[in-house]
Amino acid sequence: MISTHGDPMPKHIVSGLKYLAAVNLTKQGHTQKEVAKRLGINRSTVSHYLNGRNLSMRSIEIAKVITELCPRDFLLLTYALIQDIDKTKTIVKSCQKRKFKASVKNSCIGCGICIDSCLMKAIKLDELKAKIDSKWCCGCLICVEMCPTNSIEIEEVEY
Amino acid sequence: METTEVIEEGGNITVERAGEETRKLLFNNGLCAACGLCEEICPVEAIETNPTGAMIRTEQETSKITIDEGKCVLCGMCSSICPFQALDLQIDGTSIKEIPGYPQLIKSAEIDENECINCKACETACPQDAITITRELPKRKDLVTGEIEIDKDTCIYCGICEEMCPADAIEITHEEPTSINPVIASDINVDEDKCVHCGICKRVCPVDAIMQVCRICPYGEYEIELEPEITGTSYIDPELCVNCGWCQEICPVDAAKVTKPFEGELILDEEKCQGCETCVMVCPCNVLSFPKPEKVGDKPEKLHKDETFCIYCGACERSCPVDAITVKRKSINYTPTKSKAWQNAFESLTK
Amino acid sequence: MAIELKAYPDLCHGCGNCVVACPVNALRSSEIAGGKGPTDEVEVIMVVEDGAINIKNSDLCGKCGTCVESCPVDAIRLEESE
Repeated sequence: MISTHGDPMPKHIVSGLKYLAAVNLTKQGHTQKEVAKRLGINRSTVSHYLNGRNLSMRSIEIAKVITELCPRDFLLLTYALIQDIDKTKTIVKSCQKRKFKASVKNSCIGCGICIDSCLMKAIKLDELKAKIDSKWCCGCLICVEMCPTNSIEIEEVEY
Repeated sequence: METTEVIEEGGNITVERAGEETRKLLFNNGLCAACGLCEEICPVEAIETNPTGAMIRTEQETSKITIDEGKCVLCGMCSSICPFQALDLQIDGTSIKEIPGYPQLIKSAEIDENECINCKACETACPQDAITITRELPKRKDLVTGEIEIDKDTCIYCGICEEMCPADAIEITHEEPTSINPVIASDINVDEDKCVHCGICKRVCPVDAIMQVCRICPYGEYEIELEPEITGTSYIDPELCVNCGWCQEICPVDAAKVTKPFEGELILDEEKCQGCETCVMVCPCNVLSFPKPEKVGDKPEKLHKDETFCIYCGACERSCPVDAITVKRKSINYTPTKSKAWQNAFESLTK
Repeated sequence: MAIELKAYPDLCHGCGNCVVACPVNALRSSEIAGGKGPTDEVEVIMVVEDGAINIKNSDLCGKCGTCVESCPVDAIRLEESE
């Protein structure tokens, strides 16, 4: 678990991220059981995290850096490490300090490319127009780049 | 999530993207008229239409349109606007024609079975061979009544009645005479399914061997169905129909009704026109033709049009090499949609 | 891969059908509209020179296919250029 050579393996970074997510989710009022389910770990592991045990400080440090990367890098790196959409969503949502407001202009043609490219699964089609749930938007701007009609606007919101 | 394109040997194209939904755009090269409407409406300029004249008049192996899979986002606008059913966008296996929310062209072509008399005028006139009319005709013998008998002992087998019978109802079994059987024929019969009791055979027989009497005048109303019913079916193939209105115009009993998706105006410049016939051959609705002079020395119009049949698709304008044709689309009839982008796209095709 | 006007002078008999049938040529030259080869300097799409067809101004071509249909020996075609 704790590497004596000082360089954590990817799964150690993942546990660092899960630690941060567990802490933040608990602050938001979720039970340990819920946290465990969302992160795919044992409830006892959650309890250990919250009590400061079973941790590598290096893992946590690195995880903290990741959460402060620009949203696209945070998102893509987390997904590359975890390879699971739901867990990625949970970690990014709970660890990202930034908030975004997404809007779709009337120039949207309903092609669905944004839906296919959104890793946070924040977008749906309604009457031939994309609808983005800003709650889940992590500001990665992938949809903005992919949109063939430049119809998406993402603003960072001060909170 | 990648967009792939497959082009088949006949020129059909399939563009596909598998993401949250599987979107498939199907192009049927045979139905395409190379009118250019798909190219005009495409919001990402992914479609190019090949030269209309070349595609319709000359042998080409390539498809009438090209779709750039690097640009196509499978939005479905081309599928919605195509008046020839040549493009169809399917989302998870369902055509957008069946998905509410997607605008459809409002157009129809129907034959009222109660009014239709199965005359087949529409089938003959349809420029796309989209109409099939079947009809069950009554039997000839149910429409005639009479008696006929040939006395085979008196008959000399001259064959005059067989030659003259307008219904080919008389058959003589001709023979080669031999010394053991010196006869020129062995039998004569009347096929009563074919005989119409005209009496020609009786009148022409040189030896009065035929007894024949027609009963239609004295007894017709008792013995036959004087107003036989002709039944049948009518079918307009929705894939082939282009709503030109030929069936509606040609039907003698107004049984065919057509509504068109586009309204507009067709303007011909007689000065520029050189009579190359490209537009005539390209037009999917037989709107255009070259008039013949009624008498020697007459100078008719160079190119004749009848906008009754025009659907303002623009294929003729596109094909004219000397810009002698202008198609003005005044309105497009389509089902409502909440999407402003789609409304704007449709309206941009009108002037 | 666009469709372009292409001549095959080796197959050509020099009959001039294509020159005279071409509506763009006829619009530009009243001699051609009257049915003969041009004698003046009007810019047309193609002319017969030294007994064979020569495409002079393919950019004027509207790709209608009239010349292709008029040629008895398939010496002028509309085909995809690589």
